[in-house]
Amino acid sequence: MHHAFKLGDAEHNLELSRSASAYRLHLGEQVVDVDLKTGADGRAWLTLGERHIEVVIATRGDDVFVHLDGEAYQLRYQHPLDRLAAQAGGSAEDHIRAPMPGSIVSVTVKAGDAVAKGQTLLVMESMKMETTIAAPRDGTVAAVTYEKGQTFDRDALLLSLEPMEKKS
Amino acid sequence: MKRIESKLNTASAAFQANAAHNRKLAEEFKEKQRAVRHDRPQRDIDRLRQQNKLLVRERIKLLLDPGTPFLEFSSLAANEAYDGEVPGAACVTGIGIVSGREVVINAGDASVKGGAWYPLTVKKTVRALDIAIENRLPVVHLCDSAGGFLPLQADLFADKYMAGRIFRNQCMLSKMGIQQVSVVLGHCTAGGAYVPGLSDYNVIVRGTGAIFLAGPPLVKAATGEEVSVDDLGGCDMHTSVSGTADYPASSEEEAIAIARDIVAQFKRPQKAHTEWQPPEEPHYDPSELYGVLPQDIKQGFDMHEIIARIVDGSRFHEYQPNYGKTLICGYAHIWGYKVGILANNGVLFNDSSLKGAHFIELCNQGRTPIVFLQNITGFMVGKEYERRGITKDGAKMIMAVSNSEVPKFTVMCHGSFGAGNYGMSGRAFDSRFTFSWPQSQISVMGAEQAANTLADVKIRQLARTGKKLSQEEIDAIRDPVLGEFKRKQSAYWSTSEIWDDGILDPVDTRNALGISLSAALNTPIGDPRYGVFRM
Amino acid sequence: MTTAQPDVSKWPFQSVLVANRGEIAVRVLRTVQKLGLKGIVVYHAADRGTAAVKMADQAIEITGPTPVASYLDGAQIIAAAQASGAGAIHPGYGFLSENKGFCAAVEAAGIRFIGPTPEQIDLMGDKVRARNFVEKAGFPVAPSAIEDDDPKTFVERSRKVGAPLLIKPSAGGGGKGMRIVRDLALLEQEIERGRSEGQRYFGDGRLYCERYIENPRHIEVQVLGDGQGSVVHAFERECSVQRRFQKIVEETPSPALDAALREKICETAAGIARSLNYRNAGTVEFIFGQGGEFYFLEMNTRLQVEHPVTEEITGIDLVLQQLRVAAGEKLGYGQADVKSSGHSIEFRIYAEDAARGYTPTTGPILVLHPPQGEGVRWDSGVLQGGEVTSAFDPMIAKLIIRGSDRNDAIARADKALRETVLLGCKTNTAFLRRLLQHPAFVAGDVHTGFLDANPQIAAEPEMPAETLQALLGAAALSTRPMRDVADAVPDMHAAMGGWRN
Repeated sequence: MHHAFKLGDAEHNLELSRSASAYRLHLGEQVVDVDLKTGADGRAWLTLGERHIEVVIATRGDDVFVHLDGEAYQLRYQHPLDRLAAQAGGSAEDHIRAPMPGSIVSVTVKAGDAVAKGQTLLVMESMKMETTIAAPRDGTVAAVTYEKGQTFDRDALLLSLEPMEKKS
Repeated sequence: MKRIESKLNTASAAFQANAAHNRKLAEEFKEKQRAVRHDRPQRDIDRLRQQNKLLVRERIKLLLDPGTPFLEFSSLAANEAYDGEVPGAACVTGIGIVSGREVVINAGDASVKGGAWYPLTVKKTVRALDIAIENRLPVVHLCDSAGGFLPLQADLFADKYMAGRIFRNQCMLSKMGIQQVSVVLGHCTAGGAYVPGLSDYNVIVRGTGAIFLAGPPLVKAATGEEVSVDDLGGCDMHTSVSGTADYPASSEEEAIAIARDIVAQFKRPQKAHTEWQPPEEPHYDPSELYGVLPQDIKQGFDMHEIIARIVDGSRFHEYQPNYGKTLICGYAHIWGYKVGILANNGVLFNDSSLKGAHFIELCNQGRTPIVFLQNITGFMVGKEYERRGITKDGAKMIMAVSNSEVPKFTVMCHGSFGAGNYGMSGRAFDSRFTFSWPQSQISVMGAEQAANTLADVKIRQLARTGKKLSQEEIDAIRDPVLGEFKRKQSAYWSTSEIWDDGILDPVDTRNALGISLSAALNTPIGDPRYGVFRM
Repeated sequence: MTTAQPDVSKWPFQSVLVANRGEIAVRVLRTVQKLGLKGIVVYHAADRGTAAVKMADQAIEITGPTPVASYLDGAQIIAAAQASGAGAIHPGYGFLSENKGFCAAVEAAGIRFIGPTPEQIDLMGDKVRARNFVEKAGFPVAPSAIEDDDPKTFVERSRKVGAPLLIKPSAGGGGKGMRIVRDLALLEQEIERGRSEGQRYFGDGRLYCERYIENPRHIEVQVLGDGQGSVVHAFERECSVQRRFQKIVEETPSPALDAALREKICETAAGIARSLNYRNAGTVEFIFGQGGEFYFLEMNTRLQVEHPVTEEITGIDLVLQQLRVAAGEKLGYGQADVKSSGHSIEFRIYAEDAARGYTPTTGPILVLHPPQGEGVRWDSGVLQGGEVTSAFDPMIAKLIIRGSDRNDAIARADKALRETVLLGCKTNTAFLRRLLQHPAFVAGDVHTGFLDANPQIAAEPEMPAETLQALLGAAALSTRPMRDVADAVPDMHAAMGGWRN
């Protein structure tokens, strides 16, 4: 399964294909008939097998927001090429992203510094709580994106490490 | 177009017996196919896993669009050759949908002898590329091969349609503006290096993929140079230094995803215009085909019943319904595409031959693709018919078939004997796709006939020297011939030698023809032009 | 209860500048404009295009090193008021609403401050002074002993406070160094430990002790005074459902009070306000123990976030009363004229992830369909097309429900929350629905530690497979790359599906 959506911390692989009249959702070994019809007033009806469910959907970039049965959800699309390229490098550890929105209190490293796993890289503040960001592995700092006092959103790239040398 | 009225009694004992017999044949075929596709010695699978490789069908599954059909060619190629040790001739070919486009897939099966090229592997590959050329279909090569099988090199190297033809075909495709992508998933050595080399785009997997004209052992033997696989022809060298490979990938999944993305860039061809209407399932149940086909090759049956279980709505517009009744001609739709159908309902006589030639001309005039449903023992013989010009009339039909501009499709439903095969667009007559049914037979004449003829020759020979043969001696001459004939006229032999593009379970014929028709219409249909019809 | 429209032409101001943002700015402007007065608002660039700015008759941009700082810049705000000719300033809540310096500067500039006097702000703003004042005035305060008053008798006075008690460092904050003592036999050693911790954390070992109320309920009372001798209360509000000391749900009447206790608390609050000769709207907050005892906690000399629930059961427009008082009018009605009926609950809609420790969330407001219907009120400063950023605090709206009784209100609330569509930024609406279904909440059995004691309410329940499938189906069909791959397949092949020969 090439495509994937991230929902919370979980990644779900899936495919979509056309059927004679609508579409099919492929999840692992399961195949389910699926369709989405949007009405003139913006309300949308999702058909899943035999069920008809009213939904409201909005998208921005790779994010899909769905209101379903009284609750709002956010799914983030992962394009096959991005997902497979990322799997290759362990590059998840190269990019250090903000766990929540906030601002920088202090930065203790700069580009070129060698760091050890667990070493404090920077301290951020959010809603009067301070969070320490530590290095996930040994490495070298490639770039620091924000400086003291600047604000950022959740998932913003705060700092990147040089990719690890791959042993052949 | 009105619906064919079935005259079958599906409750009759004869029907039920036929159905049971043919279902069993279909199941045997499916089981043989399954074994050829999936049964491998565990050590071969383990070896691939250790090399971090996927199996060929896993690769194809990743390559194809989900929820789309795959028409595989010659799945049982080489089943009667090489002691059965080279299932599928160590490669998988077919037409599938990748990123919404119809493509030919040419994939090496490294779980069979490392994917080595046997003579039939080469033949199967050349055939796949011929299909690509004739139908103007892009090609995706999944390259993973150990190279030519040296002990049989004399049968795969030097001749016109042997290994070199693969690369010549690649160049023809390129000249015709038909794209090719290669995904290098193993070693592409010597000739094999030209598959990615002659492809418009190629992707190579880091660690397992390599391209070189000679591998490290041969290089060392030739010049004394010592060099590793990666340094000699690996991913990073070719994608960043030599430029022989276009896209590096860290895994097979990534390489195939990149290949899909490349195919997504291909310009879609304009389809030849042909009559089409929304498809309709046949009115009669296609599984009744099992009951229509007799258990004996010599026994006849009404081809109308076959047509009724293949075409849309079972509707058929019959041409000259009262004339030349041993050849059924008419128009129908298959998966919406309008086609002309020629189907045998007996031996070909003067009138049926003329009718056939004329109808082929009508189809060409209307740019209507033609489907040939074969059950033919041959043209009528005898003095009356020769005086009426049966040879001329057969010639006219063969002339029309040969020069037909519209795409042709042949299904060997039952018997395909002698010159009847020619008139009904056998292999030599450039049908875009040729399929056979499990119980079908193909040979210059029936086995019994041939055995009797050969025994007859011997008997007369010996009679001239005064000898007379006993029944046992006659049997001793007849039986081996009979056995040999029977073996080499079966659908399994034919498909093993790649005289057809695969055996089909009869109920799969409709879909196979639909996919074939759609693929064939990527090539424009030209104006008809014939040679001289001997009048 | 008078609801007649006052004659604003006689008022000393014809325009009001709202020195605030978000939902409260909208709320105040609504009444200002309803009265026919000119509504002016100040805004930082981060709030450009928000509802209040769109709604105001005039909007004046203010600047600052951060967006929050701009709304704290009293001088700039007063300058804006003068430039626009505003006759009065409404400070909303938070920001400068309880800043005595700002209040004084506004009045010194000849502009009416819609709130109490600077002295009243000053007195109630200092917790210790406020507590002492209230105690001297004869109203109940939590028993306590401050070491500084008389270090020699501290231990004895602490013992008199009674158990359970809380030992707090005088120099402390943030909940650090506090110790609960339930067994008075341990009092002296706990005092010693508290002292050494205070020394360690704050460099100061001085302490004070206060009676500790187990599982307290937070009950507050709305008061209104005209500064000319008239003070009334407008009943109580219960605000016990909290997290990190911030309120999430407020309701009135409080399920913890019977008629007698209700009267007692409300009269106590009115009495406190009266003893100040309190001017304008305010709220007296009490800490209420499970045994029915209550003690003064603090007084907020401003309009509160949760004022709408009071409006819903009394029919009083509190902002309108504030404007009247600021215009110099007398209340003109007495306690007997203030009546309540029905039940009202307010839910604060926060941009946060309840399941992940209530972490604030951000994002664009791609779709906003507020709930509608009988008894449903939506007070919000955000609009569809806006953006929730980390520049301001995460409360983006308030859902206020009115019902004939508490169960009716709860039922309407669940329906309204289910129908609320807000896409683009995660909110706590699903969490609020889970809260509404908890039997303790339904029974009215809550206290300020309720959410901490029931972490399963905040936790996200496991997702049924059917919901996951529906989400993935909806997402796949809304994502171009996935849809394009499917749409690219020709009709016939799509109809054949995954056929193999």
